[in-house]
Amino acid sequence: MEKIIEPFEFRQCISILKSTGRKAKNLRQLRDVMAVASDECIFHHTYQYFLKGHTLEYTNDFAHWAGESLEERALSEHLSNIDPYDFKDINDLRNELLDVIDDHLERFPEPREAMPGDEFYFNETVTLIFPVGIRAKNLAEFLMAIKYIDAGSIYYHFYEARIRLGSGIDDFSRWIEDAFGKKELVEKIRTIDPFMHNLEGIKEHIAEVVEEEVRRDMEVIDRCLVSM
Amino acid sequence: MFSQYVGVSPKSDLILLQMLGAKLSQRSYLHINSTRAGGGVVEILQRMIPILRELGIDARWEVIEGDSKFFDITKKIHNALQGNAEIITDEMWQYHFKINRQNAEKINLEADAVVIHDPQPAPLVEFKKTGSWMWRCHIDLSNPQIGVWDYISQYCEKYDAAIFSVAKFARAMTIDQYIAAPSIDPISEKNRDLTEEEMNETLKKFQIQTDRPIILQVSRFDRFKDPIGVIAAYRIVKKYNDCILILAGSPATDDPEGEAVLKEVKEFAAGDPDIYILLLPPFSDRDINVLQRIATVILQKSLREGFGLTVSESMWKGKAVIGGATGGIPLQIVHGITGFLVHSIEGAAFRIRQLLSNPEMSKRMGENAKEYVRKNFLITRQIRDYLSIWYSMESKGKGILEL
Repeated sequence: MEKIIEPFEFRQCISILKSTGRKAKNLRQLRDVMAVASDECIFHHTYQYFLKGHTLEYTNDFAHWAGESLEERALSEHLSNIDPYDFKDINDLRNELLDVIDDHLERFPEPREAMPGDEFYFNETVTLIFPVGIRAKNLAEFLMAIKYIDAGSIYYHFYEARIRLGSGIDDFSRWIEDAFGKKELVEKIRTIDPFMHNLEGIKEHIAEVVEEEVRRDMEVIDRCLVSM
Repeated sequence: MFSQYVGVSPKSDLILLQMLGAKLSQRSYLHINSTRAGGGVVEILQRMIPILRELGIDARWEVIEGDSKFFDITKKIHNALQGNAEIITDEMWQYHFKINRQNAEKINLEADAVVIHDPQPAPLVEFKKTGSWMWRCHIDLSNPQIGVWDYISQYCEKYDAAIFSVAKFARAMTIDQYIAAPSIDPISEKNRDLTEEEMNETLKKFQIQTDRPIILQVSRFDRFKDPIGVIAAYRIVKKYNDCILILAGSPATDDPEGEAVLKEVKEFAAGDPDIYILLLPPFSDRDINVLQRIATVILQKSLREGFGLTVSESMWKGKAVIGGATGGIPLQIVHGITGFLVHSIEGAAFRIRQLLSNPEMSKRMGENAKEYVRKNFLITRQIRDYLSIWYSMESKGKGILEL
């Protein structure tokens, strides 16, 4: 009996920003607020960084601020190198960020201040998740859909899924593995570095590898000629 | 009206709006502000109310009434909250409350959700009957006169939540504080696509030739918008590129300094035939639209700014904008991607030259700018945010909401 394939239901999320009313004008204040900020706040400034569609100098808001507003380049590089998906618990991630900042403060105990108005503002978010009304039953439909959906949908399935499911795996490759068992394609998607592309870049990469697969499946004649 | 945004606004925003409309269907949603004419708040409310109704929400817009004494007081309160030195006496605060009490007797305040815009009607919360009440603050509260903030915050803290335009405009409060950026309406007269005939009409009216690159700044003649700095930047550019400069703005009749600034600007322009100083009367939306579309480079070289929505308006016309790094401008201009942020006259001049000399780069940035506005600063996103905030307040405590 043919295996019943569960269609891939595209969903999307948007975030509504909430201000905590707290801000930091230098590195010492940043670390002090980070130490007591809510988990939601740390989550927003790290995991949700990619939802904002920033360019690729940094990988989280703390690194971004250290680099752009404090011009602490080495610190921003250290902070950008922290992979939030390496941590099972948000407090472990918080502690790693604090260790890096503390280490920097030990070496440079008199941090400069940000310009007025350029302070770090601590925020949280409320996230709304909703179906976008697109469903794919096979890889060709999936390919069409991936080209069509908004960046917010890529964030939900490619980034947010890694923490939602707790396994560090994105929704796309999981579905392709479960539904079609295409190990090579699954590997290609899983090797896309989430930190090295913006959401549009991720979308293009996935579309590219899926298109390659669909074309290969489709080009029966080539295979026939090869086997002759 | 909702259908006019299909193909213009992001599809996901429209889907979410419809889903939130279904969730909040037939619920009553009341907005109250202090004027029915003029200003960004009114522009948004005029559009938003019919769209909300189309989505099935029982939306209503009420305006408080007051005499000139009341509005003189509220103007002082407004200025003091933005950091200007003003004296608000006890008698003035009492009058502010008294007028609000009179309005509370006239306006039906019963609704499932109530949004009160700005400080003028803030005391209405004292007459709250039902529903979730939100105080929508459109002004920058980052550096207020503390005494005035302390007084008005007694009202603000009684709301269920506050909504600010930008995180850095907010203050530490005991209630939830949401952030919802303001927006532009892509189908309004100021932003809609124009026909060639409409474009030519304006060009003819102002006698503008388009055979040379055009540098444009649209803003009130106000020192914080730095029109003198714009002319100085144009003079630096003029050594390298033959171009014309258009400074277009309203005469700012309610601002006693407006006349003086305009005089200074004219003197500084010193009869240069390539500098056009256009005094636009109110309701010049289509002319502004045309000017933004014919400009080669658009500036918003503000020294101090609220949100600065003229930046998004220009970006929506596919233009790379050079903006002063102040207020809400850095939220709209991603430096080097959707335009340039500058900190000086020399910086502005350098970026103008860069854009004039690299039309391909200018075009690419302009395209990025338009897409950035589409994703972040259209009215549909703002309505989506307002409804999301209301929905979130009803699901208090939940950080993730599945629809």
